[in-house]
Amino acid sequence: MDWNGFAGNVLYVDLSAGELESRPLSRDLCEQYIGGLGGCIRLAYENITPGTEPLAPENPVIIGAGPLVGTSVPASSRVYGMTRLPQSRSVGWCGAGGVNFGAFMKYAGFDFLVITGKSDRPVYLDITGDAPVIRDAGSLWGMGVEDACRALWEKHGRPAGVLGIGQAGENQAAYAMAFVDRLSTMGRGGFGAVMGAKNLKAVIARGMNGITVADRKAYKKLTKDLFENIRNYPYLKEWQDLGLMKSLPIISKEEYSEAKVRRMACVSCPIGDKDIIRVSGLIATSSSAMNLYVPTIFGMKDHKEAVTLMTMLDGFAMDMFEFFAAVGFAGDLAVAGIISSDEATPPIDLTKFESMKIWAEKTAYRQGLGDLIARGLDAILERCGPEAAPYLPYKVKGMMPYAGPKAPLPWNLFGTMELGQILDPRGPHVGSGGSPTYFAQRPLEVFPKHLKRMGVPDDALDRILPGWREGAPTDLNIGRLLKYSHRWFTILGSLGVCARAQINRFYNYDLCSDLYQAVTGIPAQGSDLGDRADAAWALLKIINMREGFGRKDEEPPAKWFEEPPFCNYLTGKPITPGEVGVMIREYYAEQGWNPETGAPAMPAD
Amino acid sequence: MGKFLISIDAASCTGCMKCGLACSELYHRAFNPLLARIRVIVKGEEAEISFTEECTECGVCVDQCFYGALSKTPRES
Repeated sequence: MDWNGFAGNVLYVDLSAGELESRPLSRDLCEQYIGGLGGCIRLAYENITPGTEPLAPENPVIIGAGPLVGTSVPASSRVYGMTRLPQSRSVGWCGAGGVNFGAFMKYAGFDFLVITGKSDRPVYLDITGDAPVIRDAGSLWGMGVEDACRALWEKHGRPAGVLGIGQAGENQAAYAMAFVDRLSTMGRGGFGAVMGAKNLKAVIARGMNGITVADRKAYKKLTKDLFENIRNYPYLKEWQDLGLMKSLPIISKEEYSEAKVRRMACVSCPIGDKDIIRVSGLIATSSSAMNLYVPTIFGMKDHKEAVTLMTMLDGFAMDMFEFFAAVGFAGDLAVAGIISSDEATPPIDLTKFESMKIWAEKTAYRQGLGDLIARGLDAILERCGPEAAPYLPYKVKGMMPYAGPKAPLPWNLFGTMELGQILDPRGPHVGSGGSPTYFAQRPLEVFPKHLKRMGVPDDALDRILPGWREGAPTDLNIGRLLKYSHRWFTILGSLGVCARAQINRFYNYDLCSDLYQAVTGIPAQGSDLGDRADAAWALLKIINMREGFGRKDEEPPAKWFEEPPFCNYLTGKPITPGEVGVMIREYYAEQGWNPETGAPAMPAD
Repeated sequence: MGKFLISIDAASCTGCMKCGLACSELYHRAFNPLLARIRVIVKGEEAEISFTEECTECGVCVDQCFYGALSKTPRES
């Protein structure tokens, strides 16, 4: 079959047997679930047997890139993963800026990888040559992400895409992530631990296949207009200069400017926000320089020490938010005498580099109390018992929702991003629910234009923004709106387009439909794309319900209502559990799911 | 000799490869920077940009660069 947009193959790898098999991509999968994120969800439905333990060999690591990935459509490089995650125990989507990896996996001939089994020794998957090969990774095992990437590039040549893990993944820390080209993070909740449990250090990809488009004339017109819109964006230069520092200035512009060495971008991205910086002689790379200064949020004053600590955590490939949540929880329990001071030696102090350096190492290598910290919040709570509960940070599905009044992302208005932290089937994450209400505290009058861009139909707008037809909206229904945020996120992720605000502002629903059709040749007009995204998101919910997740797992943490509480998005008054319960039912209803249980209808096949 | 003299400012390159994507599509009708007549390799702090012998200096790569890493000036006829 001739493919446009898609590479046309799925690579199945059985690490236990050492077998690799390339199978033709299913046309039905593409037509029903778009590709990329949607395709990964469908493959998870087919390949994850309910009840499979996250770190068992049978749990597959599924990796995919959508049909626009590898083309010149701006910022279309996203790569997605699906697996059963050890920390949340959910079957979760894991996404990352694809840097080179997503595109180069497709140039190597594969839209998706499905990796099962467990190798009897450390290995990496090499898809840079004529045929995929499982290679020995003995010399890479024990390396941090940066060193492992460098070693693979030196052996296989540049440019090539590398998805790899650090020592935290090797040692199966519950919140170990994978890194893409040592710049983008992938898989809060333990995607890296699942790779580590398979003895899979990395995947490296490069190939000479080209991605074609079905309708070149339509493609050229669509992308020409898109390029011009981006070039004419008045804040383009500022975004290019500052990256995420523009919206979240954790340090001054002057300090950032002095530290910045090079801005990096994913393939095809006109507003790259990856960073290489130099602080007092230390070179650090990151998905954003902003992340490198996160320890300052927890009270670490010296910026070089903060960057040094983050470079360590990134090298280990360990999720910073979960690490700080777990180590902070353990530290509070030690102060309270619930964990002995003998165990908590040296004293856990998030403001002190010398303390955090040691605890980061103990956690990544699972030494002493670090072993418990590496297993995450639920494990600490289970060992320490009910008397530890008052010290617990916010927790949803075993993980910390990191947007909240007393969270690392301090924010007290309850919009779609905040509600999404309990309703994303994967567990607390801000990506899928964030888009609509990033317009925090903007007047309601700006919402219709923004929501229409996302493809929210008029009849839904009547329910979400009553009064919008008269130009004077009177309310904002967060629960119902979240459905369309999840749909928009799924559309962008399935195509392969970055969902970050500075990128997705240039896209709209009709443009996405037109691009998909021009690139793939698969018809997508009217409600087609939205219907397919809804089907994918519902399937994600179903996959998790068959693992036992249900309404009980979507309760907001009680601490969200304690002082200082989350507040109503419009009125600023504290919200109540009852109000959140209504939002959840309205979300289910807008999805067309059972309003009490949240169960979607089962797919036909 | 091509229509344009193409200048490189490697310090501004982000490795986005839009240049190579445009070039490969123009000359191969398929996207893949490895098929392009411009080569971009970013090694840590350094970026290397070069052109293959097939390059005709048509300038399509420059038109796609968003970061000012490539620029072109018409050659005098």
